[in-house]
Amino acid sequence: MIRQISVFVENEPGSMLRVTSVLTEAHVNIRAISTFDTPEFGIMRLVVDEPERAKESLTAKGFVTRVNEVIGAELKDEKGNLNQMLKILADGEINVNYIYSFVIREGRAPVIVFHTDDFAKAERVLKAADVKLIEEQEM
Amino acid sequence: MIWAKEETLPRSEIEAIQLSKLKDTVRYIYDRVKPYRDRMDAAGVKPEDIRTLEDLKKLPYTYKADFKENYPDGLFAVDKKEIVRYHASSGTTGKPTVVGYTRNDLDMWLNNVARIACMGGATAEDVAQISFGYGTFTGALGLHGGLEKIGASVIPMSSGNTNKQIMFLKDMGVTLLVATPSYALHLGEEIRKRGIDPAKDLKLHIGLFGGEGMTEPMRDEMHKVWGEQFVCTQNYGMSELCGPGVAGECTELCGMHVNEDWFIPEIIDPDTEEVLPPGERGELVVTCLGKEALPLVRYRTGDMTRLMYEPCKCGRTTCRMENISGRADDMLVIRGVNVFPTQIEEVLLKIEEIGPHYEILVERKNRLDVMTITVELIDDRLLDSYASLSELEGRIQRALKSQLGLATQIRLVAPNSLKRFEGKAKRVTDLRKDGL
Repeated sequence: MIRQISVFVENEPGSMLRVTSVLTEAHVNIRAISTFDTPEFGIMRLVVDEPERAKESLTAKGFVTRVNEVIGAELKDEKGNLNQMLKILADGEINVNYIYSFVIREGRAPVIVFHTDDFAKAERVLKAADVKLIEEQEM
Repeated sequence: MIWAKEETLPRSEIEAIQLSKLKDTVRYIYDRVKPYRDRMDAAGVKPEDIRTLEDLKKLPYTYKADFKENYPDGLFAVDKKEIVRYHASSGTTGKPTVVGYTRNDLDMWLNNVARIACMGGATAEDVAQISFGYGTFTGALGLHGGLEKIGASVIPMSSGNTNKQIMFLKDMGVTLLVATPSYALHLGEEIRKRGIDPAKDLKLHIGLFGGEGMTEPMRDEMHKVWGEQFVCTQNYGMSELCGPGVAGECTELCGMHVNEDWFIPEIIDPDTEEVLPPGERGELVVTCLGKEALPLVRYRTGDMTRLMYEPCKCGRTTCRMENISGRADDMLVIRGVNVFPTQIEEVLLKIEEIGPHYEILVERKNRLDVMTITVELIDDRLLDSYASLSELEGRIQRALKSQLGLATQIRLVAPNSLKRFEGKAKRVTDLRKDGL
C-alpha cells in the first residue's frame, strides 16, 4: 500500500499551481497527480515522496488535505498490461473508484494508482495473479 | 370600479374614522396583549392619552423581533377558539412569524384585497389564475379570497410547473394573472418560446403582482413580453399586517393607495426613530385598525418608501405609497419569499463540516432569482471521495430548503478564502438591478 494526499481545490485558474508551489517550497517530490473535471470544486490527488511533510505544509497554508491509502501496482510497459490488471479486478468483483498513473519513474516500469472500497481483496487477487504491488520505499 | 366608499372620502372623514378606530384599537391592545401593555406602561402612555391622530407618536413601536420573542401566538388578543385561520411567513431565525385571523379579520382582509383587485382593473367577468405558491404564505389565499369576493372565477394554480400554467392560461381563457412580477416575466418568455403570442392568442389582460416590488423597467419588460394591452399593477402587504390588501396601485400607476381606514401609515427615520414630515422617504410604520386576532400598533415594516397625499385621478382620496426603494434591515426578497441572512446562518452553523463564515450572492438569471451561498469546507474526511463532497452540498441545500422554502446553490471553498470582517459583516451581495 502507498499513501496519497488529497487536496480540496476550487475550479479556478491557479488553484493547482498554489498546491504545487507549496509542495515545491517544502521540497516535496510529486510522483503522481490526478484531478477530474467537476463544475466548481475538485479533489487534487497526489502521490509524493513525503506525505506527512506535504500534509503539514499544505495545512499550514490553509488547504484542506487528507492522507489516505491507495494501491500502487507496477505494470510492465507492454500492450495489454493495464487491461490485464483491470480484468483481474473485474473478475474479483472489485470496484475501482478512481485510477491514475505515475508521472515519470526514471527508466523503471510504470505504476498505476487506484482506490477501491476493498483493499484486502484487491491486493489478494492482484498478488495471486503476480501483479507487483509497490510500497512507498520502492517509489 | 371602486370597491368601497371609504376609498373616496374627504381627508377629514378618513381621519375621523382613523381616530375613532385608533382609540378603540389602543384600548383593545392595552387590555388584551400583555407584551404591548408592558411596553406602553414603560413608556408611560395610557389608552386615554390618545385623543388626536398626533398622539399616535406617543405609542411605542412594535418590531419583527416581538413576534420571535412571543412565538407562536403571544401577541394574539383572542382565545384560540376565535381563530379561524393561521398563516405564517419567514422569521429572522428558525421559527416563522405566525399570524392569525378571526372570522371578522378574514372578512376585513379579503374586502381589502377586493379593493386592491378592483384598483388593478379586476371585475366579476375575470378568470383569475393564482400563480403564487399556496401554503402558509398569505399572498395566494389572500388574492384568492379577494378575487372571489368580487365574483371573479379563481383558478388556484400555485407556483411552478410552467407547462401546466400555460395550458390553463390558454384553455381556460384566463384574463388575470396573480404572480410575482419576476415569475410573470419568466412565464411570458416561456410562452413566447412556444410560439404563442400572448397579445393575440391569449385573453390575459390584467396582472396583479406582489410578493416582491415591480420596478418601472420591469413594467416596461412586462409590456414587451405580454403585449401593450396588458395592464399590470403591483400591490403591497405583509403577513403581520394581514397579508396583501394594505395598499395597491390603481390603473393611473402613480403609487399604491393605502387602505387608510384600516391602516395608518407613518414614515420614520429608521435610525433616530423620529416621524418624518409627509412626502419624505423613510421606513414605513403601520398601525392596523380594527384587527381582532392580532392587533398591531406602529409596526416597523423595514420597507423604505414615501407617502403622497395629493388626490389621484382615479377618484380615490387615500394616500399613495411609492415603490419600495429598499430595506431598513438586511432582509432579502427571493422569488417573493422574505429571507433573513440570520435564517441562513442558523442552518449553516449546525453543519459541522463547514466553517462559520459564509457569503450570499443574489442574481437574477432567466428572470428568476438565484441565490448562491459560499461556505468554507473544513473537514478533510470529505476528501475521500467526490461523492462525499456532493453529499455535503446536497445536505446543505436540503437544510436550507427546509428552512427557507427556497432552492439555493452552494459553493464550497477552501478555509480562509472568505473575507473576514471586524465589526458588522457584509455577507450579502445583491446583483439584481431594477429587478431585471
